Amino acid sequence: MLELAWLIPIFPLLAFALITLTPVRHNKAASGWLAIGLMTLATLLALGVAAEVAQGILVAENGSRTTRAALSSVPPEDVFSFPVPNIVRTLRWAPVGGMTMSGEQAPFTMGYLIDPMVAAMLVMVTITSTCIHMFSLGYMAHDERQARFFSFMSLFTAAMLTMVMASNLLLFFMAWEIMGLASYLLIGFWYDRNYPDLRQITPRQAAIKAFITTRIGDVLFMVGLAYLWTQAGSLDFGRAPGQIFELGLLQRLAATPTALGMSAATAIALLIFAGTIGKSAQFPLHVWLPDAMEGPTPVSALIHAATMVAAGVFLVARTYPIFEASGALPFVAFIGSLTALGAALIACAQFDIKRILAYSTISQLGFMVAALGIGGWIAALFHLLMHAFFKALLFLGAGSVIHGMEAAVGTDVTTSQDIRNMGDLRRFMPTTYWTYLVGALALAGIPPLAGFWSKDEILADALSNGHIIVWIVLSLASFLTAFYMTRQVRLVFFGQFRGDSPRRDTRPSEPKAVEHAYGTDSVAGAHEHGGHTPHESPWTMTVPLIILAIFAALAGFVNTPFAHGLSNFLEAEAGSFNIIAVLIATLVALAGVGAGWIMYRDSFVTAQDDDPLERLQPAMFGALNRRLGFDELYARTIGVATTVLSIAWTALDLWVIGRIVSGVGSVAAFLGRLNFIVDDTVFNDGADSLADGVEHGGDEVRRIETGRIQDYVGFAFGGVVVLGVVYLYIIQR
Amino acid sequence: MPNIVEAVPLSWVLILAGGLFCIGLFGALSRRSTIAILLSIELMLNAVNINLIAFWRYLEPQLVAGQIFALFVIVVAAAEAAVGLAMIIAIYRTRQTIVADEVDTLRG
Repeated sequence: MLELAWLIPIFPLLAFALITLTPVRHNKAASGWLAIGLMTLATLLALGVAAEVAQGILVAENGSRTTRAALSSVPPEDVFSFPVPNIVRTLRWAPVGGMTMSGEQAPFTMGYLIDPMVAAMLVMVTITSTCIHMFSLGYMAHDERQARFFSFMSLFTAAMLTMVMASNLLLFFMAWEIMGLASYLLIGFWYDRNYPDLRQITPRQAAIKAFITTRIGDVLFMVGLAYLWTQAGSLDFGRAPGQIFELGLLQRLAATPTALGMSAATAIALLIFAGTIGKSAQFPLHVWLPDAMEGPTPVSALIHAATMVAAGVFLVARTYPIFEASGALPFVAFIGSLTALGAALIACAQFDIKRILAYSTISQLGFMVAALGIGGWIAALFHLLMHAFFKALLFLGAGSVIHGMEAAVGTDVTTSQDIRNMGDLRRFMPTTYWTYLVGALALAGIPPLAGFWSKDEILADALSNGHIIVWIVLSLASFLTAFYMTRQVRLVFFGQFRGDSPRRDTRPSEPKAVEHAYGTDSVAGAHEHGGHTPHESPWTMTVPLIILAIFAALAGFVNTPFAHGLSNFLEAEAGSFNIIAVLIATLVALAGVGAGWIMYRDSFVTAQDDDPLERLQPAMFGALNRRLGFDELYARTIGVATTVLSIAWTALDLWVIGRIVSGVGSVAAFLGRLNFIVDDTVFNDGADSLADGVEHGGDEVRRIETGRIQDYVGFAFGGVVVLGVVYLYIIQR
Repeated sequence: MPNIVEAVPLSWVLILAGGLFCIGLFGALSRRSTIAILLSIELMLNAVNINLIAFWRYLEPQLVAGQIFALFVIVVAAAEAAVGLAMIIAIYRTRQTIVADEVDTLRG
């Protein structure tokens, strides 16, 4: 199985190619099932690979197999190090002129590397991706461009799997960028959608915003890669000489000073971390993720909750030795904690069901980043995996809720996603309710669901490693997480159904003015939208919910403090069990749930009511509802600066460069005129007469071609005589 | 019996060969019948053969190259005669003539 691991990303890539290039693209159902089928194959293969990794099988360069137990080398104790990879296969890709410090030629390589961390990620990505593909079949059933959707989803999955398996940072970065592209394409999937309220961001604007914002981080990341390459002469993962985790290299990097009093290792780590800030939506580049919710809900679940945004965390985990050698970890912890708390605060004051989840995702990513910053490598990865399952579940549940709500309030996005218009949906959508409840409790950190174990491990690491401030901030964020999830569940699934008289915040709401996912209603015909009661979703949507709910409920048991399954799997030292941390974390989560329940128990009899928090703290709630004004801040600073710069540039362009260009142009035109005259008189006529002469001469010469063979013999003999005379009397002389 | 090399000087033999070549050339250029042209060409080739043999015999008798070359020329001449006669027959079948002047499709 390990030797076949390279096939895992090939399957979705094949689905992408087939759907894009063959007539399958004309068939909505066939494209969907093709993608699902190939994803299932990839999943089975990933499970097989993970099974062999769990047995500790190592495949050497020459194909011989040993087990990890037979390995005798003892890793250095004082430095962080990854376990020996189970299999590495690389090929020389591009020889480059540079030399390493040791004077060897250093070509770029391409290849894959499987170690326990990669295997865990592969399993997570393939399972969530398969579930979400299946969910999409129901959710996107009425969309005209379903084949396009599945093609992009497959491309994304292929890129994500490639990134996870990459054996070097270059391939990692390539796949990372393809994921960015797929994210852009899928956020803007409904690119023709417009809203009556011009201030509301449209999908295509959101796509551009996401792409540009993450680009800021990616450019810095690439600069970091270039810097690392100049120092290490290689981008390959590994501890061997000439690879980037070599101990001597890391020590040298840590000792090399650069600008601003940083060591080279710190500079590289910070530049790489910039990529994480962009991709994982950390402060201050978090603004793109909430707006990325303009994409279809399965996209939000797969890309903007479970996998791609976690890629930033994976990046830090993957390059962790560099971070450990550098002084960047406190900064990482700071950014993570700040993001975790800030996003959780904003999430409390949102009304859009998907935006609440988006801020929750940002907040949870902050948890992971903070965990990395305090050295909780296992905890971060554990939370990443668990979060992927329950957040994918929550997003798919939200998609199911929206799908059902559209029957009641119509297809206007703002109305159908507003939790104030929902209520009592557990009566109409029982499967969605139960699965959503599991996901929400897992996210809130209620034992014994998945989120409890992973979040608890982060908090326990913070407490036992002495990072008290991080621990307090994360506990606060954890409380808020429980609070806003309770608020959401309470408003969506309990109380009274308020969709009969919904609030429509986009004022001139023409029901048909909004182009929607399900095509125009008359075409779909399956169910008319608006004015009905909500209904449960079809089985293709509920089955993935149930599968993910099982994972969200039980997956946490792979790494409880009593049985370190994941830690052992990752060949890492397990965190110590801290009963105080567990108790406090549980109490905090329960307190959050309780506070949310009490505060929202009697609220929202009608959709027009005010939020209890708003009555309590109107100013603060308003600020949080407006997302603390980051969008406006960026619009006023960066946006205005860009506008001013562009106006200045326009003026410069018009008055200076324009003049120069037109001056150069007129000189060129004059020269051209001159050239034309010379050309016309000298060259054209000369060439014409040359051609005429050749033609005339040919006419003359063809007369000796009589066709009589004896004439030819005569000419030949005459020629010999002439040559002989020339030879004898001119050359010899 | 006196040695032929002492009895006959080389120049005589070369004059004989040159004369033979000129007769052949004259025939090849002037005769109208294609078969006569072919015969004349054979004459020229044999003039060359005499030259080759003469130079070998008088100048380099210890080498065999002259004889070999003469043999080659004879073989080539035989092949050429076969091909030439076949062509003449083919031309006769299509044009009912073997007069060289009337076969002028090579004209440019």
